[in-house]
Amino acid sequence: MNMNLPSTTELGSQLITLMAALMLVVQLLMVVQRMLLTNIRLFAIQSLFLGGIAVVVAFVHHASHVYVIAGLTLIGKVVLLPRLLTRLVHRIQIHQEIEPLLNAPASMLVCGGLTLLGYVVARPFTSLERLGNNTLAVAITLLLTGFFLMINRRKAITQVLALLTIENGVMLAAVALTSYGMPLVVELGIFFDVMVAVMVLGILVYRIRESFASMDTSKLNQLKG
Amino acid sequence: MDILSATLLNLSLLGYVVGAAAGLLFLRHEKSANLFTFGGASLAALFGVIACTVPLATGTAATNQSIELFQSLIPYVQFTVRLDPLGAFFGLIVSLLGLALSLYSLGYARGFYGRKSVGVLGAFFNLLLLATTLVFLADNAFFFLIAWEIMALTAYCLVSFEHEQEETRNAGVLFFVMSHIGTGCLILGFLLLFRASGSYGFDTFHVLGDKMPSGQRNAAFLLFLVGFGVKAGIVPLHIWLPAAHPVAPSNVSALMSGVLIKTGIYGMARVFFDFLGTPPNWWGVTVLTIGTISAVLGVLYALMEHDLKRLLAYHSIENIGIILMGFGAALMFLHTGHPLLASMALIAGLYHTINHAVFKALLFLGAGAVLHATHTRNMEEMGGLAKRMRWTAFFFLVGAVAISALPPLNGFVSEWLTYQSLLQGFGTTPSLIRLMFPLSAAMLALTGALAAACFVKAFGITFLAQPRSEHARHAHEASFTMLLGQALLTTACVFLGLFPTVFLKLLDPVTQQLTGLKLSAQLSLANGLVLAGVDSQGGTVSTLGLTLMAVCLLPVPFGLWLFCARKSKTRIGPTWACGQPGLTPQMEYTATGFSKPIRMIFKALFRPRRDVQRDYDFSPYFARTIRFESHVEEVFQTRIYRPLNRLVLRLSRRMRALQAGSLQAYLIYIFVTLLLLLLFAL
Repeated sequence: MNMNLPSTTELGSQLITLMAALMLVVQLLMVVQRMLLTNIRLFAIQSLFLGGIAVVVAFVHHASHVYVIAGLTLIGKVVLLPRLLTRLVHRIQIHQEIEPLLNAPASMLVCGGLTLLGYVVARPFTSLERLGNNTLAVAITLLLTGFFLMINRRKAITQVLALLTIENGVMLAAVALTSYGMPLVVELGIFFDVMVAVMVLGILVYRIRESFASMDTSKLNQLKG
Repeated sequence: MDILSATLLNLSLLGYVVGAAAGLLFLRHEKSANLFTFGGASLAALFGVIACTVPLATGTAATNQSIELFQSLIPYVQFTVRLDPLGAFFGLIVSLLGLALSLYSLGYARGFYGRKSVGVLGAFFNLLLLATTLVFLADNAFFFLIAWEIMALTAYCLVSFEHEQEETRNAGVLFFVMSHIGTGCLILGFLLLFRASGSYGFDTFHVLGDKMPSGQRNAAFLLFLVGFGVKAGIVPLHIWLPAAHPVAPSNVSALMSGVLIKTGIYGMARVFFDFLGTPPNWWGVTVLTIGTISAVLGVLYALMEHDLKRLLAYHSIENIGIILMGFGAALMFLHTGHPLLASMALIAGLYHTINHAVFKALLFLGAGAVLHATHTRNMEEMGGLAKRMRWTAFFFLVGAVAISALPPLNGFVSEWLTYQSLLQGFGTTPSLIRLMFPLSAAMLALTGALAAACFVKAFGITFLAQPRSEHARHAHEASFTMLLGQALLTTACVFLGLFPTVFLKLLDPVTQQLTGLKLSAQLSLANGLVLAGVDSQGGTVSTLGLTLMAVCLLPVPFGLWLFCARKSKTRIGPTWACGQPGLTPQMEYTATGFSKPIRMIFKALFRPRRDVQRDYDFSPYFARTIRFESHVEEVFQTRIYRPLNRLVLRLSRRMRALQAGSLQAYLIYIFVTLLLLLLFAL
């Protein structure tokens, strides 16, 4: 057992690094992907990796409550939310292509810059991490690119998706940085916050569509007096 | 804390809560709502009166410990109350008024049946009483601010109770804005104190000012002066007061004018005398100057009003000014090291605080009864009410005599004490600043005279002569409970006037807490029959003696009549009407006419403007119709607030460019801020 433990930790650490990197890759794919439904699927995959990281953390640290978080992530973000969003897309019959403000190469460049910034910012904290390399950097990058995604998209539903990737980044930071995860209450709080936000935004999207016959949030400035 | 007052205090607070809950419970049953909310409030207030009087009378208030109302989960925030002398004194004021006003409201609220929700009115009324009591008792800056905000919000709801009229809504918003400017200053002030003490408990703030750097101390003084000054209604922060008081239901106006603005006075007493330590000279000078200006301007503007409730509201500004004259003098005496005089000046201020609460509430209740009967606030449409509303007229007259500071009622006693401290202040310091004292005393004299003139007008035009309108002709006396509330306050006026030395004993613990001296023994001579100034050169006066003398002299004219004039013939005839067939209301002196001489004397301030339009056929002396309009400029609105308003609006229009209305733009703002912060942290 005593001999076994370091190798488990090491394996776990490598697994987490791998999955965090994959999350980042998926995020960059989302930045350039133009099909809405594919975007939703990509988000599901990203959440799947997040769930995987949580499982690994829980297993290595024998922290049973992190399993709960992993379970919630898998059920909520891999299955439930993508289905909800897919149904919404079908119901309001928007046409499938996303119209970003910046074109793909430019977006890629910006995201590269943001990733660099994320790594630079996270550098002083690397010693705090117990598992994986640079998970915090990935988390910050997810947050920043998620934000960029939100700005870069016009349609409300893609903005909801971007918000969800930001939340994935926050969750990743919570799991990676604190090693045992935050107190369960806090994580549950964040989780349900996002759930509620998505519900509300879903309804809002529907309403915007009804009132403006479009989902383009840049048309909201017509509300201004 | 002794068991009795602690229990009663808890019962009192609980009573308000139950009263508020009952109001919401009986939203659809106006009669039960009326009975339970105002009945509950009067019981709770009665408990409050006893709970606050006993510790003051026995002197145990000084040793009272703070008790925690309920456990707090948030660090630094503790829901603790303490019935210390100053808090108990103000608690007494709010409970006393709460009792009288709740009784009055039992009758008054019937006027809203079928029109407005009595349950809502009663619930907010209870909440306001609860919040105000907690403001006086809070022992923690956080809890104080929470209670302060609840008080401001419930008061806002009560002011906007009859929100159907635009005037009411505007007044409510004005009150809301001003109140929050004040609260902002208070928060900053308490943060400064927190920086020095490291805790929010009031016990750690005691004479904290002596340990603070003088810059911070002065900043704290100014912040608290503005913060509490807004609530108290000092000039030039008073503009919300004449707007908000008249439009609220009359029981609420009485509560606001009697107690709510006193929370500002309480705050100043607490902070200036308890927290900030030995004051520099300019504090006292500032407070005394503000007090004097408020007193004179308040009464001058009151004279120009012919809206009965606005007139009373302006008088609140005047009386707050008088209270602050006492406080300002006390601060100056503390600076020059005259604790004895400082205590007397402080007592003068505090005594005037309770006096003003009592007689102003009484007058507002009278105004409410008149409003209830005539459905107008305009004095020019009243008149002749003394015959139709005998008791109300009598109570109003007592209140008017008291507020005009005529002996033997309570207003006279506290103003006399203020005069004593101001006049004796001349000898306390050799510097030129001592000229402030006689000047303020002269201004106080002017204020008293103008107040008397104003109430001759208010009482005369409202209650005497012939009715000026149909409504006034059909006025009826107020109901029993409404009269009961007024009678209670009238009794308090008389008691506070005739037995000042008895009441001064209650103030002993308060002055001991704030200045370390007990004065009641020095202020009373001849077993408490005579009130005396502390100095040997100070004057003496006995309101009780004056009254007894008047009563003894009363038979004299009757005796003279009996002996000398009994045989002469008495003729009864109509009043001479310049040869006209009879007297009509149109011949009566109007409120505007009555105050004209004063408007002319103070022309520079009022800038009166009048428009006269005559329609005539061949000669202007035989006009068909004459239209007359007269305006008085409200200097503070036109010279200070309107330019300020325009400035703010201009700036906001510039800021609007930021509010593009585009979601992407807003996201970019947040994103860029985030990036900058991250880069900044590198």
